[in-house]
Amino acid sequence: MTEHSKQAESTFALRCVINGEAQTIETTASARLLTLIRDELELTGTKRSCDIGRCGACMVLMEGEAVNSCLAMAYQCAGKSITTIEGISKGGFDPIQQAFLEEGGFQCGYCTPGMIVSVKGLLDSNPSPSEDEIAEALSGNICRCTGYGGIRRAVTRAIEGRMLAK
Amino acid sequence: MGMNAQGSMAFPQVWHPQTAAEAWHLKQSFGTDSVYVSGGTLLRTQWESGVAAIPKHLIDLSAIRGLGEIRIGETGLVIGGQVSLEACRTHPIIQRHFPIVTEALRQTAAPSIRRLGTIGGNIASNIGDSLPALLGYNAHVVWYNGMEDLQITLSEWLKIAGMLHTERLLLQIQLPFQADETLEGHEVEHLRSVISKTKRFSAYHKVGRREAFTPSVVTASVSGSLSEKKEVNEIRIALGGGQMIAQRLEELERELLGKVIDVQLLRHVYNRIMQLYKPREDLFASVSYRKTTAAHLIASELWKAAHQ
Repeated sequence: MTEHSKQAESTFALRCVINGEAQTIETTASARLLTLIRDELELTGTKRSCDIGRCGACMVLMEGEAVNSCLAMAYQCAGKSITTIEGISKGGFDPIQQAFLEEGGFQCGYCTPGMIVSVKGLLDSNPSPSEDEIAEALSGNICRCTGYGGIRRAVTRAIEGRMLAK
Repeated sequence: MGMNAQGSMAFPQVWHPQTAAEAWHLKQSFGTDSVYVSGGTLLRTQWESGVAAIPKHLIDLSAIRGLGEIRIGETGLVIGGQVSLEACRTHPIIQRHFPIVTEALRQTAAPSIRRLGTIGGNIASNIGDSLPALLGYNAHVVWYNGMEDLQITLSEWLKIAGMLHTERLLLQIQLPFQADETLEGHEVEHLRSVISKTKRFSAYHKVGRREAFTPSVVTASVSGSLSEKKEVNEIRIALGGGQMIAQRLEELERELLGKVIDVQLLRHVYNRIMQLYKPREDLFASVSYRKTTAAHLIASELWKAAHQ
């Protein structure tokens, strides 16, 4: 057995980058990223809801791709770059957020940070997605109050806005 | 909101073995106090719902060398067990040569979960959505038994799923290329003339309770080839869904070989699926519903293969 395989300490120092800033968080290796973001870093824009990856309220970007922070464990985030909704709006409203506001892509707003994060991950890798690609990218984000019409309009508007901005 | 296992759990220790042998020894040492973990997405669901207890030890398989890549092997495509479901879903060779695997993975969870979940974890669960599709290509699995790497068909692996110890460690999945994809020279020319008169077909369906990101009620795949006269040259029929371990209907497959697909044969297919498919009932769908659904899906796909 190698030394590395023996590294199963009860505490774990998670070193990663969150919203552009290097962080070292003393935790346990199996702690959920969601818990660390909300309770340790007090970045409460990332929402807790289903705890099993079904609703998407806790979505964050890991290396630029959307993942459920309720499923990711601390050791899986080591060395990674994590972006939360606070990171997306660090320099002011992101055009995706503006599009959600203008198109009424929310009602209670609880799912909205996760929606924004998923759309950000999609458009950063695929600036001109098809309807099917949008549907697939948002298939892990559930809205239980306003329906999806406004959300789809917001995504379309965000795509157009990003195109015009180029 | 879930039961918040995180809030009440004693945090398990996480081990990071570098080799399959190390992982195996750790499992032997900790026994039922431990589980192998790949992406951990299914485990988290089980812990939160109370289906499984949180173990004292997690044996993380992600650091084992060579399990995180997709490569072309001697007889087919070799997919490491630690490759994410999303990486498989978007891999160009899988899209081109094994399209119903791509389709199965497109319908598995959501992209955000597929980036964490792995193909090895999906298979090791015995109920993953990828299984009927992989069975449709006669996939093989390579696993470690504590002494050596063993290769068996996925179909055999699933048949003995409940009989082997949980220590068995899945390493790779192998998807054999079709014969015409591996031959060269005059063999290719001969085969092309045969293939030009042969129609290949494949289809995958996942029936759930909502359109996207839903647990499977019935999962079905059918693949094979037909002659010019619509005779079945080869066929694989695989069914899963719910908590049922996916299975191939090999008895029915043998009955169909050499037969012409017509209305009478489709009736036979329908009736035999009603007999042979053994789904499990749950709160959401009866056995009868699942059987009927599967029989309709396979019969309709065979009809399409013969007539479209």
